[in-house]
Amino acid sequence: MKVTPRTMEDAQETEARELLERRASRLREQGETAVEEAVHWIAEFPLGEERYALSLETLRAALPLKMVTPVPLSAPHVVGVLRFQGQVLAALSLASLLGGHGWRQDPAVLLVVDRGDGELCALDCEAIPRPTTLPMSAVEAARVRAEGAVMEVFTQDRQLIHLIDLKRLFALRGTGGRHAR
Amino acid sequence: MPVDPLLQGLVAGFAVEAQEVVQKVTMDLLELERDGMERDALSKLYVRLGRHLHTLKGSASSLGMQDLGDIAHKLEDALAPLKANPQKMPRPVVDILLHGLDLFMLRAQAHADGRGDALPDPAAALAQLVSEAPPPEEAAALGASGSLKMSVSAAQVAVESPAPSAAAEPGPMVPDVVPESADTGWRVSARQVTALMREVERLREVRLRFEERGRELDRVVTLLAKQGLLAETAEARSQLSGTSRSLRTDGEETGDIVEALEEGLKAITTRPVRTILDPLQRMVRDLSRQLGKEARLSVVGSELSLDRRLLEKLQGALVHLLRNAVDHGLELPVQRERAGKHHEGALTLRIEQQGNLLFLECADDGAGIDVERVKKVAESRGVVTSEETARLNENQVRDLIFRPGFSTRTDVTDTSGRGVGLDAVRASVEGLQGRIEVASTPGQGTRFMLTLPVDLGSSPVLVVRATETLVGLPMLAVEATQLARADSLRLGKRRAHLEYQGQLLPVVDLGARLGLRALAPPAEGQPLLIVQSGGKRVALAVDAVVGDRDLVIRPLPSEVRDVPAWQGAATLSRGELLLICRPDWLVTDTSQAQVVAQRRALVVDDSLTARALHRAMLEAGGFSVHLAASGARALDRLATDTYDVVICDLDMEEMDGVQLIAKLRERKETASLPVILVSAHDSAAARERGLAAGADGYLSKRECAAGRLLAEVLDVMSRRGNRA
Repeated sequence: MKVTPRTMEDAQETEARELLERRASRLREQGETAVEEAVHWIAEFPLGEERYALSLETLRAALPLKMVTPVPLSAPHVVGVLRFQGQVLAALSLASLLGGHGWRQDPAVLLVVDRGDGELCALDCEAIPRPTTLPMSAVEAARVRAEGAVMEVFTQDRQLIHLIDLKRLFALRGTGGRHAR
Repeated sequence: MPVDPLLQGLVAGFAVEAQEVVQKVTMDLLELERDGMERDALSKLYVRLGRHLHTLKGSASSLGMQDLGDIAHKLEDALAPLKANPQKMPRPVVDILLHGLDLFMLRAQAHADGRGDALPDPAAALAQLVSEAPPPEEAAALGASGSLKMSVSAAQVAVESPAPSAAAEPGPMVPDVVPESADTGWRVSARQVTALMREVERLREVRLRFEERGRELDRVVTLLAKQGLLAETAEARSQLSGTSRSLRTDGEETGDIVEALEEGLKAITTRPVRTILDPLQRMVRDLSRQLGKEARLSVVGSELSLDRRLLEKLQGALVHLLRNAVDHGLELPVQRERAGKHHEGALTLRIEQQGNLLFLECADDGAGIDVERVKKVAESRGVVTSEETARLNENQVRDLIFRPGFSTRTDVTDTSGRGVGLDAVRASVEGLQGRIEVASTPGQGTRFMLTLPVDLGSSPVLVVRATETLVGLPMLAVEATQLARADSLRLGKRRAHLEYQGQLLPVVDLGARLGLRALAPPAEGQPLLIVQSGGKRVALAVDAVVGDRDLVIRPLPSEVRDVPAWQGAATLSRGELLLICRPDWLVTDTSQAQVVAQRRALVVDDSLTARALHRAMLEAGGFSVHLAASGARALDRLATDTYDVVICDLDMEEMDGVQLIAKLRERKETASLPVILVSAHDSAAARERGLAAGADGYLSKRECAAGRLLAEVLDVMSRRGNRA
């Protein structure tokens, strides 16, 4: 039998084709065996010893935590104010908003989020959150159970995630003045 | 009937112009109604009034609106006898003329809207107008009997007799009166204008960055020159200098463009406040007549120009406040005289802009708010319960008048009694992100004070420093600057005073007022700013005056909008925000505030959020907390202030926690000061290293997150106390 030596390009092309075929086959199997479940996209991050998340749709930007001007006499949860796309936003301590005591590491990131009332604000965070999904049914069930702004949702692998409902969180809080008149 | 579009455009333009002329006539009539005018001034007013009415007549007739020409002609007739013998105009005549003007404008607007053909006969309307005027005997009792009879009869004659054709008289040329057709302009949405404003603000920021880049280039040129004037770098230095000059010129040109754009935008988006205030004069006059009262409205600051949208929204609130003042505030003339007041009540509207804040005050010299009555009414109307009112102080009781459903009127009238009014005013002010407050003195009157943000244009700001914090002050509030000298200071036990222009002004330490440090008397040579607001003045002690800037002050986000110390924030050249302090907050007397002895903590951490979190926890535990962003800043604080405990980050740049502790232990005053180290490192080695350096406690950030900080602080303080 005559063997024709393959060039490097040929070998790579063949490998790529095989890889793509394997992936396509896997996807076909998933489609045949599993019913696609509706999911809720979240931005997940650690806070203290626990895992927290925000709905991904509320997230507008992630910025490095710098150029924040502290606001003397403001409420304890107010870290300061910053500029974002021509607006002045408040940077808030998420740990403080949630009644926590602190982070494991100093926050390095600010998450610009929609508060749910059309206004933007920035929340501090240890690191850029990880986008992931939760089963929509679990989120809806948790929403019914939850009384406050934080819903306890279990992932498919039984991990507990505290999903923050920003609209509820800010509706439950007043304004931020320590010495408001 | 087909309408010539060109003519319809002219008629629409006439209606706009006529509104302005009618407004001028109204103001003149209100002026003529007042006592105490000199004969010369009266003459001039009558002449001007006649000219305005003639203009209306001529312009209307020229455009073929004969009915309007006839009305204006009859009004001229009514004026004629008084014009010949100038004197104060009797009220019933003013009533007739004002009603005639209303009629004129209603018809003018109908013509402008293309409804002119459907209008009823003007003669009938004018006849009705005269019949509505007060009878001569009632008007005679008001004190101008002779002239009044003449005027009223003149008006009646004018209505009864057919008017001569206005077209027969020479009228002014149409182009003098009819403005540009509406078709020559553009219609733009508020959103488009707002977007343009944002772009102008961005351009302003770009200009500031130009300046900063220029300064950076200058620094590079200086640095190169310090290296020695080497021939090899001569060309580069020369080019850099040239670029720096060009950049400066470009920056200046950009600045000119920004100013021109801003002026243009202001012209498009603002209008003088008097355009909403002038009609209120008429409203006050008519309402006080209706209620048998006498009132005079004085306006201060009507020349100010403000955002049209803001003015439109404010108009309703002002109408409510003034109607409220006339109806509830002012007493009847007899009651006023019995109380030793002038029979005519004084209403004052004062408008002032400071930086990006608009202060609007509506005051009357009436009976003031009866707190006990407010309580009773609020309870009877179910606004509050008696248990709730028992817990309220006087200010809180007065605030009940802003609650929905509150009204002290027992009967419903055209003016009030439906419990809708001040709550609507508050809602509209808060809708504009503003605030309304009320102050009242029994027997002397009531003041409503509105504070509203305005976000157009730049304003001069003085930048000062307190500790390491930069603060802006609206330049309008800064009267003078001087350095503290021992011979001009009077130091008391609780506060210092500055002798200034024969007065003793309280000294306010900005750093202490902002909670950044403990209160200390001003040091020799420390800058003192004389700050005034609302008639009050203080000497503001700052650590340095950085300079003045022309800045665009933007409103603060809702989370900090209610902190009374701040009115907005402005962007500095490097993009950082500068907080602008409210002068009225600075001059507020705080000497009455109780000084509560609190335990004091200093938090030293280069992380802004860690400082904020530690502060929150310690304040919740009853501590007074000051913050420092570095070891060096902490040493500065400790040189002037005393603290019960220091919470310090272990890993800081420049000077870490261990080095800071070493410095503290070297100094006698701080050798035994309790220090707790906080670190992201949770290892035994890190803990040992911290404690070996002389820390009294060590917490990992994980332990802080678990809520251990306050307990550790109390524990460490207790241990130190026991040792002492």
